[in-house]
Amino acid sequence: MRIPLLTSLMLLVTGFALAQSPVSGFMKKKGEGSVVLTQFRESYDRVFLVPTEVDGVPVFNEVTISSTSLYGEFGISDRFNVIVNLPYIKSEGNASEAVLQNNGFENERSGIQDIKIYGKYSFLSKAVGTNQLDIIGSVGVETPLGNYSADEGLQSIIAIGNESTRFTGFGIAQFMTDFGLFATGQLGYSLRSNQVPNAVLSELKLGYAGSAFYLDAFISNQLSSKDGVDILGEGFTGFFPATRVNFTRIGLNGYVPVAKFAGIVGGVNSYIAGRNVGKSTGYYAGLAFSF
Amino acid sequence: MKNILNIKSTLIALFAVITFTACESVSSYEDESPSIAFVAVANADFSVLEAAAVRGGVAGVLSNSNPNDPSGAYTVFAPTNTAFARLGLNEETLGVLQKPFLTNTLLYHVSNGNLRSSNITAGGMSASALGPQRRFIQRGSDLYINGSKILATDVNASNGTVHVIDKVMIATGADIVQSAIALQSANVFINPELSFLVEAVVYAGLAEALTASPGSPKFTVFAPTDQAFKDLGAALGLTFNQPSDIRQLPANVVGQVLLNHVFVGEKFTSELNAGNVSPLGGDPLTLGAFTEGTLTVRGVGNNTPANMVIPDVQTTNGIVHVIDRVLLPNL
Repeated sequence: MRIPLLTSLMLLVTGFALAQSPVSGFMKKKGEGSVVLTQFRESYDRVFLVPTEVDGVPVFNEVTISSTSLYGEFGISDRFNVIVNLPYIKSEGNASEAVLQNNGFENERSGIQDIKIYGKYSFLSKAVGTNQLDIIGSVGVETPLGNYSADEGLQSIIAIGNESTRFTGFGIAQFMTDFGLFATGQLGYSLRSNQVPNAVLSELKLGYAGSAFYLDAFISNQLSSKDGVDILGEGFTGFFPATRVNFTRIGLNGYVPVAKFAGIVGGVNSYIAGRNVGKSTGYYAGLAFSF
Repeated sequence: MKNILNIKSTLIALFAVITFTACESVSSYEDESPSIAFVAVANADFSVLEAAAVRGGVAGVLSNSNPNDPSGAYTVFAPTNTAFARLGLNEETLGVLQKPFLTNTLLYHVSNGNLRSSNITAGGMSASALGPQRRFIQRGSDLYINGSKILATDVNASNGTVHVIDKVMIATGADIVQSAIALQSANVFINPELSFLVEAVVYAGLAEALTASPGSPKFTVFAPTDQAFKDLGAALGLTFNQPSDIRQLPANVVGQVLLNHVFVGEKFTSELNAGNVSPLGGDPLTLGAFTEGTLTVRGVGNNTPANMVIPDVQTTNGIVHVIDRVLLPNL
């Protein structure tokens, strides 16, 4: 194998961080798997609204989201992998006690959010000279597992999710050189319930997967259907799941092996543009185990 | 090989193009007009208005077109943070107001349709979404709506027009007596206010005179706070702990003092000038200079003039200015 580490440890770094695609361009072999436990934290005090971004999150001033996420990926066969992701999320506002009392709000919402189950199938894995091209298709479902609410009026500014079930399909192309440089492009479409607008998802990832470490830089986008409403715009009723959430997010993911079957993952990411979304910057770290 | 490389290149290029063209771009909506609610949220000087709209439940309403007007527009006279601060109100303290009263107060600042400054004329009236009319008043080079100075006009919004004012406008939708009772019954503030005044009016038998009836006159009333009555009690060597303690004074004296607080004709602060006004009873009251939208008022029996703590409360039969001192005639 030209890229030996890739088959054992490198595949761990995938989309377990929030708001990244949950599927990567790397395939696991039959019987191989990995489990990643991450702790993620992001915060924002500015919000991308229409027509401009605003300083200060309404009511809550600042929002901090921390999550613990369990991510697993398993090779049913060399060409078919299954991915499961389950996050526990805590979303905290920074409203004063008086403001909370005035509105009957609370500064925290937390709980198990949405389970995400994806299958991905390698349609093509072909050597191109000394390089490799992979074409992968993936479909998945994401649905609330916890009993959180997204329908609490403006309290739901800090809701942990949209209470929406989503069916998403991705097409993924990855090209990797024999010395570990790779580029992965993803394009997907997500059908969503609970008035959440359907969305086009895309991601471009450039990185290096070598024996000593893994590193990628990504840019990901969500473009929601125009059926969605803008916060504080026409059609806005205070029901946040119905909002039209677009964003462009950039970030870095890294992985360093520390033992034969274990390694440390980490990354940073930031929203650089958006619509009806917090201007958030976050980071995560975690442990990855492979088998 | 060459073909596959081409496929690869094409695919990567395709994804790159899709990814980058799918990027959210501010230029796609930066030309859109903000809603009135957005104007309040985006402007730091309207943060209390924003908080009030959230608590009062009108943030969603002012995000949308007006279903009650063919133009879909609202006009909002938006009080600044300083305007709220005059009443001791900020994001933290809004909870001292009962929610229905807060909502009504906000609706009093709203009207249907686009009322542009070019269509505002001194002496004109404008019906509020709450119901009661607002009056436009010219004072020098400044234009007022009721007692509130219009600081800026014609801020365009997708669903209407915003004008900026320096004082919160209040309308009770009830007459003077019922308005005072609303305060006394904690229907305005969560804690009772004007309790001593209501007790005094009842004790002195003046309730009927200040109750609106067909053909009854309009008044301007200076309404002392509960603390003002307690301070009076202390000054008289009495203890006014509860409203009924006012009955330690003879009813006719209380009546004379109360009539010293009322004059005929409804006048907002914007229509009052330094000098004397003649109350229904007692002795002439002296108004101080019109400063920062308010005036002091002093009875001949007062060493120190009273300040208006809540000016320009519109009732159905007059204007009430809540003051911090009882106005004493020569007794």
